Amino acid sequence: MRTKKSLVLAAIMSLLVLTAAPAAQAATPYEAYTYNYYADAVALPAPFLPERIVNGASLGVGDFKLPNDFYVTKDGTVYILDSGNNRIIVADEHWNVIRIIDGFDNNGTPDTFGNPNGIFVSETGKIYVADTDKRRVVVLDGDGSLVKIVENPQSEVLPDNFEFVPLKVTADRAERIFVVARGVYEGIMQFNDTGEFLGYVGTIKVQPSLADRIWRWLATDEQKSQMVLFIPTEFSSVDIDDKGFVYATNIDVGSTETIKRINPLGKDVIKRFGHYPNVGDIRYRSYGRDSGPSKLTDIKYIGDGMYIVLDSNRARIFAYNDEGELLYAFGGRGTQLGVFNTPVSVEWQKGKLLVLDRGKNNIVIFRPTKFGKLVHEATALHYNGNTADSVELWKEVLRLNSNYDIAYLGIGKSLLMAKQNKEAMEYFKLGMSRKYYSLAFKRYRREVMQEHFGAFMTTVVVLIAAFAAFRIARRVRPGRSAGHEA
Amino acid sequence: MRHEWKFPFHILFHPFDGFWDLKYENKGRMRVAMVILLLLVVATSLMKQFSGFLVNYYDPRYLNTLDDLMFTVLPFFLFCVANWSVTTLMEGEGKFREIVIATAYALLPMILINIPLTFISRFLTNEETAFYWMLNSFGALWFLWLLFVGNMTIHQYSVTKAVFTLVLTVIAMGIIVFLGALALTICMDMYWFVYDIYRELIFR
Repeated sequence: MRTKKSLVLAAIMSLLVLTAAPAAQAATPYEAYTYNYYADAVALPAPFLPERIVNGASLGVGDFKLPNDFYVTKDGTVYILDSGNNRIIVADEHWNVIRIIDGFDNNGTPDTFGNPNGIFVSETGKIYVADTDKRRVVVLDGDGSLVKIVENPQSEVLPDNFEFVPLKVTADRAERIFVVARGVYEGIMQFNDTGEFLGYVGTIKVQPSLADRIWRWLATDEQKSQMVLFIPTEFSSVDIDDKGFVYATNIDVGSTETIKRINPLGKDVIKRFGHYPNVGDIRYRSYGRDSGPSKLTDIKYIGDGMYIVLDSNRARIFAYNDEGELLYAFGGRGTQLGVFNTPVSVEWQKGKLLVLDRGKNNIVIFRPTKFGKLVHEATALHYNGNTADSVELWKEVLRLNSNYDIAYLGIGKSLLMAKQNKEAMEYFKLGMSRKYYSLAFKRYRREVMQEHFGAFMTTVVVLIAAFAAFRIARRVRPGRSAGHEA
Repeated sequence: MRHEWKFPFHILFHPFDGFWDLKYENKGRMRVAMVILLLLVVATSLMKQFSGFLVNYYDPRYLNTLDDLMFTVLPFFLFCVANWSVTTLMEGEGKFREIVIATAYALLPMILINIPLTFISRFLTNEETAFYWMLNSFGALWFLWLLFVGNMTIHQYSVTKAVFTLVLTVIAMGIIVFLGALALTICMDMYWFVYDIYRELIFR
């Protein structure tokens, strides 16, 4: 009750604050939101504010030309793949250019890139470039010297005229390379550390729609042979987490599995425990402008189970936690600072969110707001099992936004751990989680039953006795009156 | 007086005798039928409002008792009218009054099951909700059974004919709704036509 009151109070206070400082509200050219249990988009305080942009001119290296990808390592070093200029710009955390790699020494002959599409930098500092037009993956050392080139994969499972067109690349600690290639529908191509093709991981299931099936059923054999084959869609991006699990996105319209987390065996093990599947937008127009499901074109694992995906359809950013619950979504198209033209890649630089915009040839830097920081910190604490510590942060989150289901769930789970089942029930109800509510309720019910077992049993026994007495009395009395009458 | 309130309970377990008595012994009462209908509205509202969180999938933002009233009473009379229209054409012996009373009495199991169920549902865990849904559908099936027997007895139909007329009744309900919507649109069009002429005249 007290928490409820304080929540209401917090809501009123937040209203007062909002009316007092409308300028803070107008600072973002986008609206942040999340989806509640009823699939409504609920407004959130902005989790990130656009800070500034970085472009070729501000770095002092000349304009970018259609950059396709970039990568930020754990220590904050930025590797920008300036595809149109066929170069890699390496900058430190504070955006001072360290070096520009515009070519490498290929066994004595100088070599350059050909419109590369993807870049990845391993923990040991090796740079992996998906050199698209030259049909190869180039692995360089941190200083730009060649380590190896992966090209022309040979295998029985590949067709004879197979053309290797790498688009995105990532690698694990064992230096296995994962490549998303154009025209490859079987999955993500996996290479070992010597560049030998190992096979595919994370195959996308094909699910023809009902209409497709009826159509196929009606068609004659001749028509069938002319029909388009039901081939799965290609993957659109890959990333890797600390444990060596590959995160991948694909553009599969109508599927609820557009984000995958692939384990070393090649199986998709991502959790989809949110109210709705983790596919970006779940509500959208069917026709017209800004219609259709989200097209997830990039994914970034940002640590502590959280990952960020980029929707190129509506130029929005979605963040999920390890359970697959939407933390927040924001973004949009436009010309102001903070909205995008053609966003192609998201990265994470020590708590700041970076988005590479191919259309604007720049990088937008977003810094987290208080709300965004709290959500990330609380999620991280929760992920690492410090549920008790996360409670204070979640309460703070609820002060800023009392419509945040995940915060209620976080507090509820911590209360459940602390065996405060009744309070936990209240929070799970607010967070609309029937699963956890049931768990808390079960424990609470057992508690109450144990406590009042004596009283409960006494009542039952007394009731049974009273009923029996009533029955006997009723049976005896008519007998007596019958005797009188006779 | 007491008997007329007890009679619906008799029908619950002895539907063939009960509906026979309802028709030929004139034991059905319109006011009892109306009270049952009203209780059903109350039971529905209570269920939407107070059933346990684990089984309550109603969006609390859109709960409206007046809607419950409307969406219980209107379909009820729609069914009665449709049933009467169909059975009159198909040599049914039931009068409209008997149809209303029999249909209302058939609704009783839904009330008797749903009200206690609403209370019990607050003490169920997720695994036990299966019982809730089972009892819930049991009430609905019981209602359908009584409706079927009632229809058969009141109109003095054979089993196949009773099933057939019930199916026809559902179709007739659809037709009535369609015609009603049609009539409403035409009326609205006429209203706007007159209104437009009026506006043309005053703004001329």
